[in-house]
Amino acid sequence: MTLKPSEQRNGNLVLPGERLGVIEEFIPDSGTYVKDGVIYSKIIGRALMDMLNRRVSVYPLNEGAVVPKVGVTVIGQIGNAQSDNVLVRIMGVGTKKNLSGIFSGILHISDVSDRYIDSMNDVCKPGDIIRAKVISGKNQIYHLTTSDKNLGVIYGFCSLCSTLLEQRQYEMHCPKCGNVERRKTAFDYGKEEI
Amino acid sequence: MNEKPEKLIDKKGIRLDGRKADELRPLKLQVGVLSNADGSAYIEHGKNKILAAAFGPREMHPKHLAQPDRMVLRCRYHMAPFSVQERKSPAPSRREVELSKVIKESLEPALFLELYPRTGVDVFVEVLQADGGTRCAAITAAALAIADSGVPMKDLVVACAAGKVDDTVVVDLFDAEDKLGAADVPVACMPNLNAVTLLQMDGILSPDEFEKAVNMAMEGCKKIYAMQKEALKTKYMVVKEVEE
Repeated sequence: MTLKPSEQRNGNLVLPGERLGVIEEFIPDSGTYVKDGVIYSKIIGRALMDMLNRRVSVYPLNEGAVVPKVGVTVIGQIGNAQSDNVLVRIMGVGTKKNLSGIFSGILHISDVSDRYIDSMNDVCKPGDIIRAKVISGKNQIYHLTTSDKNLGVIYGFCSLCSTLLEQRQYEMHCPKCGNVERRKTAFDYGKEEI
Repeated sequence: MNEKPEKLIDKKGIRLDGRKADELRPLKLQVGVLSNADGSAYIEHGKNKILAAAFGPREMHPKHLAQPDRMVLRCRYHMAPFSVQERKSPAPSRREVELSKVIKESLEPALFLELYPRTGVDVFVEVLQADGGTRCAAITAAALAIADSGVPMKDLVVACAAGKVDDTVVVDLFDAEDKLGAADVPVACMPNLNAVTLLQMDGILSPDEFEKAVNMAMEGCKKIYAMQKEALKTKYMVVKEVEE
């Protein structure tokens, strides 16, 4: 049962459960699932039928279900901090900046950077916003790393007066109280919009 | 309607609210009505007014409820204190707890639970005004809310009831028919997969009547499904135009 060219539903809005074809005519791609040899859409989106490669996929029209996965960059806030690890409240995953809840992550001192680090106090403080990468989803918690120049603290706050810190070479200065602290910053510290 | 009317269906086969036996109540569906929820839907089914909101997948709290191999679907069906004529206590009643479970179990087969392990999806159903058949309307709205949140689904879930009133099998019972009638059969199904996810019966029906009731409810489901699709398309067609 091949679709004639006139019946192609390329770019059409499809809803979950909408029939897209059978596995004999298409290779099912993202946004689709197969049941009893029939390809259905599993999300709301636009059906894309690649007639050259015989692939069918659905391009999502909403941000969709987003959960942290290994290799994905996440944005989070530092929660409880200890000398060798900190808890991270993951608030954004990839391009989705606002999750409806938070996921818990952990950043261990061994995953902070290539260099030797004496204490987590030189990396980040509670309340800081960091960008990190997920390296493991095991142990019922996401293990994060900041070992890259685009990863690390993107917004740091003074531990004495909670003012946004300014970066001056290797140190962080508080413009209000003059306190000097250390952070493992990302190269675009203070620039990303959240 | 405090006194019991003599007949729920007149000689011409017209019901108390002026419908025929196979006629549904007027239905209005809207998707994306709440901005704080990941997905939401609003349904007006006759005099029923129900809001549904979906969140997730997100980390399960309390954490011990999380399943290591799959996502957990949680549902809360709740009736507002002003949803019925006499004030309803806002505390979850026995009936609400049961309906929450029933709605959860009728939606679960439509989800890919194994896709997001250790997470949970929360669905909140708030009945603002009740007039019989709220569980069916709630399922219809909850399915829309989940689809709107972007959680992958095998199919939409749509529900409709049928029952027996004055020895006649009718579709989509409203409050008076539900209370005074002989039987009520709510059915939820996934229309594209042709699968039933909920089938209940309250009252007594003969096997023939039961079959007729189920078939009528399924017919009703098909009609509601068309409107469900329409509601989703109305929202997402607009989104497309804005993007361009």
